[in-house]
Amino acid sequence: MNAIMQPGFWIFILTMSGIYGIFGLGLQVQYGVGGILNFGHVGMMALSSYTMAILVISHGINFWIAAATGVGVAALGGAFLGLTTLRLRGDYFAIVSIAFSEIVRYVIFNSDNITGGAQGSLAIPAIGEGYPSYTNAWDSIMNHMRDFLQPIFGDIVNREFVMALTIWSTLAVLLLIVSRIERTSWARVLRATREDDEVPAALGKNVFRFRLQAVIIGSILGGIAGIYWALESTLLSADDFLTIVTFYGWMILILGGATKVKGLPFAAIFFGFLYGGTRFFTFWPFSMVDSAQRAYIRIMIIGVVLIILMMKRPQGIFGKRQEMVLE
Amino acid sequence: MNNLILEVNDVAISFGGVRAVNGATLNVAVDSVTSVIGPNGAGKTTLFNLISGAIKPDSGTILFEGMEIQNLLPHKIADRGIIRTFQGAKVIKRLSVLENLMLGGQDNPGDSLLNFFNPKARNAYEARTRDRAMELLQQIGIERFAHEYAGILSGGQRKLLDLARALMANPIMLLLDEPFAGVNPTLVEKLLEVLQDLRTKHHLTFLLIEHDLETVMNISDRVIVMAEGRVIADGAPNSIYQNQAVIDAYLGTRKATS
Ligand SMILES: Nc1ncnc2c1ncn2[C@@H]1O[C@H](COP(=O)(O)OP(=O)(O)O)[C@@H](O)[C@H]1O
Ligand SMILES: [Mg+2]
Repeated sequence: MNAIMQPGFWIFILTMSGIYGIFGLGLQVQYGVGGILNFGHVGMMALSSYTMAILVISHGINFWIAAATGVGVAALGGAFLGLTTLRLRGDYFAIVSIAFSEIVRYVIFNSDNITGGAQGSLAIPAIGEGYPSYTNAWDSIMNHMRDFLQPIFGDIVNREFVMALTIWSTLAVLLLIVSRIERTSWARVLRATREDDEVPAALGKNVFRFRLQAVIIGSILGGIAGIYWALESTLLSADDFLTIVTFYGWMILILGGATKVKGLPFAAIFFGFLYGGTRFFTFWPFSMVDSAQRAYIRIMIIGVVLIILMMKRPQGIFGKRQEMVLE
Repeated sequence: MNNLILEVNDVAISFGGVRAVNGATLNVAVDSVTSVIGPNGAGKTTLFNLISGAIKPDSGTILFEGMEIQNLLPHKIADRGIIRTFQGAKVIKRLSVLENLMLGGQDNPGDSLLNFFNPKARNAYEARTRDRAMELLQQIGIERFAHEYAGILSGGQRKLLDLARALMANPIMLLLDEPFAGVNPTLVEKLLEVLQDLRTKHHLTFLLIEHDLETVMNISDRVIVMAEGRVIADGAPNSIYQNQAVIDAYLGTRKATS
């Protein structure tokens, strides 16, 4: 219980909720506006983080270029998924997208010479005598920011604090951009395609183009989340990108109200609390199970919350009910 | 030069065993009002689906302004100026009535993500489109619902919205699938006025499917009769009344059912 009193606990929760908030924002564009069921979103996170790590560790490329390339590869992953599958019916896209992210994970797991395989990023072959780390450049930025902020805000400012602050600033900027995008006529067309293909097409709108762009934008957001995930965890492993992670994003989306972005940051914090908090469920009745099993309790709680939400408030905590249920 | 805007040549499509359109040939003159009539299941809506590109024909060609369009995607055909409405009317239920109309705007700079960084162009276009849409809503008398979800509209109101949305798209040729069915008679009068007005001002060509023979005879320059996927008669409205094939296939069944 003590841990909950520590600022470090809350900073950890903020960091996680920020990363998953960015991740969920990608799904918001795709599903909340475009009605596209993407269950392979975690694949974009895997693509960006591993691309960045490999470019830095194996090729000594500047962190910023590597990170931008990582996000670019995530966007390409989205484009590939969209070009091959978006012309199919929505439910096929959902199935293929899961397969996509699982394939990405298997390829990462089995490409020992490039990705480090089962041993994760620690086994990515480094250039020269280098230690396989991709966080050096980022660490020095974080340390500079810490040294700058500490005299102003006091001892609470440590590396983790600066990280949380950076991630939430990024989320705030992205929320602003996405909410602007969602006020354009582009988004209006995309909203129409959520319901019907024939009407927008009969009015001269290339439905496929709008959907593809939505998938790519969402993938870029997933890619950005992947970079932060890599920086936060400092080590990467193929197991970080299980399909369950996609559903963390879905939980935030549904909790916040899929059709609008304004509930998303609150839902992200709620999720972060579940995600980070459950590992401190060491009290009764959770004390009756061991820690490995407790990890599953987290997933179960998230599942139960999702089910209750779908039944009681399909529009999420902040969403507009009519926009979900109108027939 | 000919003055045909649309030429449908020997077009056929089957669904499984059903030959929905079975070698239909017809054409439409520029600036005219042409009505398609025929019993249920004659293939009229399928013909519209073929012209608008929603489905591709098994055989035959469709020419619009002299160019083949039967292999184009629907949005490309719409770009050329053929805009359709849907039988029973289709509205986007979870967009507002106004947004439904604004969806019809053509060449909207805001439809391109690149123009995200050009808010001036986007906003100017949006403002113009909004004014135009509100004007149309007033004309069809549903402006009080402008900001409601279209899903709350009644069947008749949805028809009006579908029609107005098609007008928003600056059509050259309008395909209207039973636009007046289920709309109250005074409103039909008004709609006919609106359409007549458009026709004289903008040189619109109309191809419409309509069941009410009196309306058809009043507004059409030409009537095409379909039955079992074929065109069985084609001519001036009064000549259709006297055509024996029409009486057998269409007017006959009407009598039999009434
Ligand atoms: N997509 C489709 N799949 C199968 N059959 C269809 C389809 N569209 C139309 N049909 C069939 O084609 C025939 C013509 O239908 P339709 O064009 O809707 O007639 P109309 O509009 O003249 O009443 C009907 O027998 C109908 O059942
Ligand atoms: Mg029909």
